[in-house]
Amino acid sequence: MADPASTPLGKMLLEEITPVVMVLCTPYVEESCLKNGLSLIQLLSPFCDFTNIDVPVRTASDQPYRLRKFKLRLFYSSDIRQPNLEVAKERLKKVITHVGEKNFRESSDPSQVNNLLSRPESEMLPSWFQFFNKELVRTLSFSDHEAFDHPVACLLVVSSKDDEPVNRFVDLFNTNKLPSLLNDGAMDPKIMKHYLLLHDNQDGPFNKATKLLADMRNAFGQNDCQIICFNSSQDGKIHHQDNPWAPFKSDALPTENLGCFLNLDDLNEIKDFMQELSSKHIIPYMEQKIRVLNQQVSATRKGFRNQIKNLWWRKGKEDTIDTPNGPVYTFNSIESQIRILGDYAFMLGDYELALSNYRLISTDYKLDKAWKRYAGVQKLGSAGRRNATRCGLWWAEMLKTRDQLKEAATVYFRICGEDTLHSAVMLEQASFCYLLSKPPMLHKYGFHLVLSGDHYKKCDQIKHAIRTYRSAIPVYKGTTWSLIKDHVHFHIGQWYALLGMYDVAVTHMLEVLASTHQSKTTQELFLRDFLQIVQKTGKTFEVLKLQLPVINISSLKVIFEDQRTNASAAAASVKESLWRSLEEDMIPSSTARSNWLELQSKIIPRKYKESNICVAGEALKVDTEFKNPLQIPISVSSVSLMCELSANPEEGKLPNSSNEVQNNEDRTSTSSGDINSCLILSEVDFSLEGGETTVVQLTVTPRIEGILKIVGVKWKLSSAVVGLCNFEFNSVNKRVVRGRRKQHSPSSDLKFLVIKSLPRLEGFIHSLPEKTYAGDLRPLVLELSNQSKFPVKNLKMKISNPRFLYAGNQKELNADFPACLKKKMNVEKSGSHANVNKTLQNLFHFPEDIFVQEETSLSWPLWFHAAVPGNIPLYITIYYEMEGVSSIMKYRTLRMHYNLQVLPSLDVSFQLSTRPSRSQEFLLRMDVVNKTSSECFQVHQLSSVGQQWEISLLQPVDSILPSQSLFAGQSLSCFFMLKDRRRSSTSDDSIPSISHIQSDVRLGPQDNSEAFFDVSSSPLADFHDCERSSQGMSSQGCEYKVDFVFIAQLPEGNSDSSSNTPLVFSHHACDCSPSSMSPISWLVDGPRTIQHNFSAPLCEVNLKMTITNSSDAIASVHINTFDSPSSNNQPIVDATTSQPPEHQSGWSEIPIVNDTKIITTEALTTRVPKSLSLESVPQFIWSGTSSTKLVLQPRSTAESPLQICVFTPGIYDLSNYVLNWNLTPVNDGENQGEANKSSGVCQGYPYYLSVLESNFKD
Amino acid sequence: MIVCVAVVGHQNNPLYIQSFTDADDALKLHHIVHCSLDVVDERVNNPKKSGPTLNETFLGLLYPTENYKVYGYLTNTKVKFILVTTDLDVRDADVRNFFRRFHAAYVDAVSNPFHVPGKKITSRTFADRVSTIVQSFGLSSAV
Repeated sequence: MADPASTPLGKMLLEEITPVVMVLCTPYVEESCLKNGLSLIQLLSPFCDFTNIDVPVRTASDQPYRLRKFKLRLFYSSDIRQPNLEVAKERLKKVITHVGEKNFRESSDPSQVNNLLSRPESEMLPSWFQFFNKELVRTLSFSDHEAFDHPVACLLVVSSKDDEPVNRFVDLFNTNKLPSLLNDGAMDPKIMKHYLLLHDNQDGPFNKATKLLADMRNAFGQNDCQIICFNSSQDGKIHHQDNPWAPFKSDALPTENLGCFLNLDDLNEIKDFMQELSSKHIIPYMEQKIRVLNQQVSATRKGFRNQIKNLWWRKGKEDTIDTPNGPVYTFNSIESQIRILGDYAFMLGDYELALSNYRLISTDYKLDKAWKRYAGVQKLGSAGRRNATRCGLWWAEMLKTRDQLKEAATVYFRICGEDTLHSAVMLEQASFCYLLSKPPMLHKYGFHLVLSGDHYKKCDQIKHAIRTYRSAIPVYKGTTWSLIKDHVHFHIGQWYALLGMYDVAVTHMLEVLASTHQSKTTQELFLRDFLQIVQKTGKTFEVLKLQLPVINISSLKVIFEDQRTNASAAAASVKESLWRSLEEDMIPSSTARSNWLELQSKIIPRKYKESNICVAGEALKVDTEFKNPLQIPISVSSVSLMCELSANPEEGKLPNSSNEVQNNEDRTSTSSGDINSCLILSEVDFSLEGGETTVVQLTVTPRIEGILKIVGVKWKLSSAVVGLCNFEFNSVNKRVVRGRRKQHSPSSDLKFLVIKSLPRLEGFIHSLPEKTYAGDLRPLVLELSNQSKFPVKNLKMKISNPRFLYAGNQKELNADFPACLKKKMNVEKSGSHANVNKTLQNLFHFPEDIFVQEETSLSWPLWFHAAVPGNIPLYITIYYEMEGVSSIMKYRTLRMHYNLQVLPSLDVSFQLSTRPSRSQEFLLRMDVVNKTSSECFQVHQLSSVGQQWEISLLQPVDSILPSQSLFAGQSLSCFFMLKDRRRSSTSDDSIPSISHIQSDVRLGPQDNSEAFFDVSSSPLADFHDCERSSQGMSSQGCEYKVDFVFIAQLPEGNSDSSSNTPLVFSHHACDCSPSSMSPISWLVDGPRTIQHNFSAPLCEVNLKMTITNSSDAIASVHINTFDSPSSNNQPIVDATTSQPPEHQSGWSEIPIVNDTKIITTEALTTRVPKSLSLESVPQFIWSGTSSTKLVLQPRSTAESPLQICVFTPGIYDLSNYVLNWNLTPVNDGENQGEANKSSGVCQGYPYYLSVLESNFKD
Repeated sequence: MIVCVAVVGHQNNPLYIQSFTDADDALKLHHIVHCSLDVVDERVNNPKKSGPTLNETFLGLLYPTENYKVYGYLTNTKVKFILVTTDLDVRDADVRNFFRRFHAAYVDAVSNPFHVPGKKITSRTFADRVSTIVQSFGLSSAV
């Protein structure tokens, strides 16, 4: 069993549930007491608490026991009533406010729920609850429902100064002045009375008092009268060392000398009196009363022990229902008597009697039942409510003692009344019950705190409200219950602002700023309130984690230039690996890839190689992404980087090497453009719409050497709050674009070694079109300017895509375009391909005598050719060296990047087919389609590349394209004849003179005297080489491969207004070869028309087949002739007309007149089986061998005779033969491709023979 | 009338909370739902009796407040469904039926391959379906 005094409840009960003594006194008594600065009760109180009274007590049971602790409570009769409600409220309010002030100052927030729980219980629970509860209970004392506060005895005090003290005693106990409890019958008015005569020794001699005492004893009885003499000290100089009255007079000033007229004898006298009063009068009286009552109760209710709860309280309930005006128990009702019995027994410590042998802790339980009944029953009226409150409080305390904290919390919750202030306190206590319950119910804890805070706020107890809300923060911290979280933080912020504590208010408002889930109006409200509070602070706030706008640190991009410089922002965004591969063979290998053997590594300190290097006077750029998470627009201004520039520790010669640069104010002043300061920072303003994201480029330019560190970024929100974002704390994902060494710690990626100012070339290509048509050929000018004081030399340039861009000669710079492309008659063609090798390597060395002098610029011609349509990135990197400027950096590169949009213009396709009749001649079909939507191109020329081909038009262009211009969407087909000049010069007998060789054909107006474009000289030849190499053609292989260049022009003044000169478009086609080129070609030669007299049975026709093997292998050829299986005798007269035209798709057959007609192989192959199947009636038979085998040596020609017999006149198609060929490769592994298709079958091609009936008879 | 339904994840994080009142009492309902989690925890940790209630997902009346009744339901993945209603006379069977249908809707919603487990349910289909269930709850209890 626990010591009752050790639990808070036990203590409270022992203090509160003690016998009450009603004190009645005359004004003279008070007057005498006040001399000591004390009222009568105050005077007596210290002596009412007996810790070792040692009185034998015998109550209902026969076993006497000794009572050790005893206490009396003294009250004036005027106080024995229910206290004034308003006054009590006021007092409680004062208590709460006072505590609020105190706690508010001391409060420290636990940040984590875990911390919250790990603290000891006593710390967790605010101590003032106890105090408050006591105060609250006190306001509710002297109810008519319980006997604890009913006076047990009455102490009547009369001063010896009074006239007729005996009569005064009678007057004092006049019913009119007695408290209502005694009058309305709730209490037995016949209580024990004790008469005390108080004699002030200052007033007169003691003998008068003794005489009065004798009178009293006569009147009221021998034992009940006593006398106390006090104020014995005449001078009032007595000091009491440990002032016994101090606890009972709370408002006493320390200087006040309490009890100054009381000497030791007086005190002893008072003490003895009180002890005697308790032990001789009150306790025996109560004993007796208990015995009487016990007897009565036992008489009325058998076995009352078991019935105590049932009968007692059920009955009480019934009473209440019967009398709705309020529960009234008359003193002589049995319930009341039982009640008094119980209470008296309890007060006397006879708990066993009082509550039927239950131990104290069980006693609590029993009582709790009782109060629960109270709380449940007495719902009507404020009196009942308040009683319920008290009962609830005690009940809750009991539950807490018994670890039923959840139930206690429920009780607290239920006793919340209409008085919001009390409710607030109760709710807060409830919340602590939830917190302390096992397991802790944190959700409810938070909820009740918030409820309590709301109630506090309603009573203007803002400090309490803030305190409760702040206690609730840990519950919601880290959860996603954002609505609640926002509510809590927002209100704390608001309330702090009400208190004028704007700094704290701001920190709480910050929490709700970036609440994306809230509605637009709420967001507006939050932002508005936040800005208002910030304004009230009257200063600009610097907030480290301002969430508005959100900075995406992972998207941070730092662009810096060491030896690698960028001509434009576009160049900076290109991947480093791309540049490195481009620059690989251009930059000195010692710095690109250093190893330990290199001398260079000894010269350059290791530190320089490890840290990023940037050059003084050159800007570092940081791309930062800002996102507005809200739905409302926000304005952000003065966005700038935060940087630190410190002296290089190895050199230490920086003039302002102190760390004062860290000071933000200093930096903002530098950013305003002070040239002399060491850092120049850019400032950006922008505003973000709801949900918008923007990327801002911020720059910092160090002006002196040292070590530059980019710390973070700062900005101003709505020109009120300064937000700071440190790049360091989440730097794991940071991506430094230029960073070469990825294994570095991220912090060093933002650290730069600033070195002395170096020359830096600026590069620009003039008039490079962003958008052009494919084939566009034009000169451009590259301008390199050097702004520094030092010359640069050893320039090299590499272009990623030589198909598009190509460095020209310096003398071409001012050449007249397009005239410079034209063929010049008097210029030798020698050396036209001189720079082929250079272009193939993509690396262009500027002549060694080229310098870019200080503060000058250099222009260099470039040739541009839009080779293929599409989005074309162009990367150009220029290498240059500086002399004697820096030991760290000897060279730099300038990177330029352009994006071209090349639109398709003319689609030129070539089809080359062997001319069946002549094996060394080819038919060229050129199809040109204008794919543009608006442009009108002028066709100019077609050239074959190289000297060996002779090209000529089959029909004048005028007939095909009279206007010479190709409108949008128009297509053009031209046919050309192509002759292999080498073959024809050797095998053919017609030898053209050199001067007549035409490798160019003019397609424009024939009478134009304009010169051809020279495709064999730069730049056309160079571009052609690029085309060749890019189209993956090797220059060797089959010799029947021709390259063509088709040139068209866009006349000046056309829709492309950027230039006045005509645009030249060149289209290159490489390695055109006959489409179905088989290594075997043949030619059937013979008469075309035969006149025969068919009086003779048959006509024999002799034909000759010339077979050429153009491959490098030995070919064996079978010539198989076959006759049609059917024996239809119908001759095919005019075979072509008999064919239904719909069977011919896309190709209208024209009767063969001459073989200038080009027949595509495709048409040929489709046509042959058709004609066979349809006609299938050859009126001729192959005579001679039906199968001939020939073996052809590589590159040789053989002839084979053929013969047919014709029986009737008609036109015959001699195509029904097949050539089977087989290649036996020569023993070299070169021509694998040829070896693969080492055999094939060729259908015969049509050979029409007209056999006519000869008219004359021979 | 159902005033609020909520889905709360196994870490007591709200996945879906929807009120069906016209008044602006979202905060209050959030608090009620948040509070009820304690009771859910309590029920789960101290099952009243074993046997038939062992695998019971329906947690029953969690706690009555002054104006509301709060019912709970716990799936086997420790996702909690909370129902707040103003009806003072609710049949248990109705609530069970409601939760069964709500559970089905939830399963369909999280089966969506685009749903990230543990994140809030943003599916509009789910919201529509829930409101249908909520409305039919009122009807079936009226019948």
